[in-house]
Amino acid sequence: MAASQIRKTPFERTEYAIICSALLLMVVVTVQPILNLLAVSLSDSAQVPGMSGLAVVPHGFSLDVWRVLLTHPQVLKGLANSLLITVAGTAINVVATTLMAWALSREGLPGRRAILVFILVTVVFEPGVVPDYLVMKQLGLLNSYWSVILYRGVFAWYLIVLIRFFEEIPKELLEAAEMEGASPLQTLWYVVAPLALPAIATITLFYTVLHWNEYFRAMIYLNDPQMWPLQVVLRQFVVEGDKSLMVGLDAMNKYTGGSQIDLRALKAGMIILTLIPVLAIYPLILKFFTKGTMSGAVKG
Amino acid sequence: MTGIDHSASGVTPALHGNVPKARASGLRRVWRWRGYYLMLLPGLLYFVVFHYLPIWQAKLAFQDYRIIGPSVWVGLKHFRALLDSPVFTQVLWNTVLISAMKLVLLFPVPVIVALLVNEVQGSRYRRFVQSVIYLPHFLSWIVIAGVFIAVLSPVDGTVNDLLGLAGFAPVPFMTSEGSILWVLVFSEMWRSAGWDSLLFLAAVMAIDPQLYDAATIDGAGRWRKIWNVTLPALVPTMATVFILNLGAFMSAGFDQVFNFSNDAIRDRIDILDTYVYRMGLVGGEYAYATAAGVFKAVIGMGMILAAHVVSKRLTGKGVW
Repeated sequence: MAASQIRKTPFERTEYAIICSALLLMVVVTVQPILNLLAVSLSDSAQVPGMSGLAVVPHGFSLDVWRVLLTHPQVLKGLANSLLITVAGTAINVVATTLMAWALSREGLPGRRAILVFILVTVVFEPGVVPDYLVMKQLGLLNSYWSVILYRGVFAWYLIVLIRFFEEIPKELLEAAEMEGASPLQTLWYVVAPLALPAIATITLFYTVLHWNEYFRAMIYLNDPQMWPLQVVLRQFVVEGDKSLMVGLDAMNKYTGGSQIDLRALKAGMIILTLIPVLAIYPLILKFFTKGTMSGAVKG
Repeated sequence: MTGIDHSASGVTPALHGNVPKARASGLRRVWRWRGYYLMLLPGLLYFVVFHYLPIWQAKLAFQDYRIIGPSVWVGLKHFRALLDSPVFTQVLWNTVLISAMKLVLLFPVPVIVALLVNEVQGSRYRRFVQSVIYLPHFLSWIVIAGVFIAVLSPVDGTVNDLLGLAGFAPVPFMTSEGSILWVLVFSEMWRSAGWDSLLFLAAVMAIDPQLYDAATIDGAGRWRKIWNVTLPALVPTMATVFILNLGAFMSAGFDQVFNFSNDAIRDRIDILDTYVYRMGLVGGEYAYATAAGVFKAVIGMGMILAAHVVSKRLTGKGVW
């Protein structure tokens, strides 16, 4: 930490400036497009056409786009569906993954190795989306939220991470709990979970993001647009360019006094709306997951 | 690890009658762990229903699909059809090309980013940079596709506005065959360069500071220290990341390609997974598409296992 705190030569100082600038460039390239979309979505609709892609401040100011978005039935339905799938899915994920990881972290468990291999096989060999679809169909889960909620009940990678974490817990603590007659579930609840809280919080957040970002399974398992999560609505509108889904004429006229809302602004707003929830939990992800590397411990 | 015997009795506990003595104590052992097996149950059920049933269902690759009545075995018919199809050959080539471009061009990027971040001394600036560059990893590919469609638009996109300032004519990046592969590579970098650097940064920070102090005393400058101390310490992490990338090689980033696709360039970036989706779920050719999926899965599995064996031999550390 000590050695190079004083940068002596001008060469070294230039070097350092270049390093910081390179990172700044990366920050700008990451953030500018998002700020541009936000600015477009907040601009006065008359001034949106011709607005530069470089702009990061709204031209004029109007909340028309957001008023349309947040009252649009398809968007609201999408939000509600996303929320339902995310909350229910994450709850199931966390419970199933934690229980499983706890059992598999016990080295004495007979058959442990066989079960781990049994799980690893599913990571290594995935026969693709058609068999998945046909199984869903045979189970009668097509056009049910359960298909999207359950298809990723336990994510093998997160399971492995959690097993590793549970294995770190000192055996003496577990033995002490068992001596006092605690059941496996009680040991998990009172001893293991509190100690592994950062790890459990991390996989909770990661599962939340996975569910929120899920679109493909919803697309193929759910026929009814009324059941689509927000991502699929966004995809239909922005990627497929299907305007009919989003732009009901009445919605356009109602909130803008008959003047057209620019389609570009509406798309921009929709993209921002879809990433807001991720942005909202992102600080928590940083807090739990990257704590170690962000502590600012500096070496020379 | 205290003398574990993973006896088969752990998996087949339902044996009664005149059980030999060793077997009996094995059963008693299993019974003692019953609480844990109960906790495994929901997860195991999930893996059976949503992973092993599809694996069983994949036998369809060797059958002809019938809506009514049992499917008929046709052996390798679909696989022969696949390999005879010029479209499939093209799709296979696209997959390999896209994956190889990403692997070769993007592999060094997170390492460089980690090295840069590690050089930053002010903890405020460092924290700021980190909290920005990790973000794109958590955005869905739909959102990213939306962002890139806007940024690369020939009419009012950021990149073309910049090109315009420099006096160049606008380029329709998203819809031209010449540029779409580079768009895929760059957007992948936009999404993962920051996040992927985290692993390397952690490895860098785990290096013993005394090594740097010793190098400083020996008169090594910034670059010599990076070359002689930091990079060698990153080799094991690089090996792990390389293997993981190889494991995803045949996927070539389905979510990305699927959302960056459009009619103008579809043939150029059609990959195995998009082909399976289109033939199977859009076109209804269930058996044929399953064969394509199994083809991909078998090659992918081969690559992971090969990488695992090679890594185990070279570094003593496998994927698992």
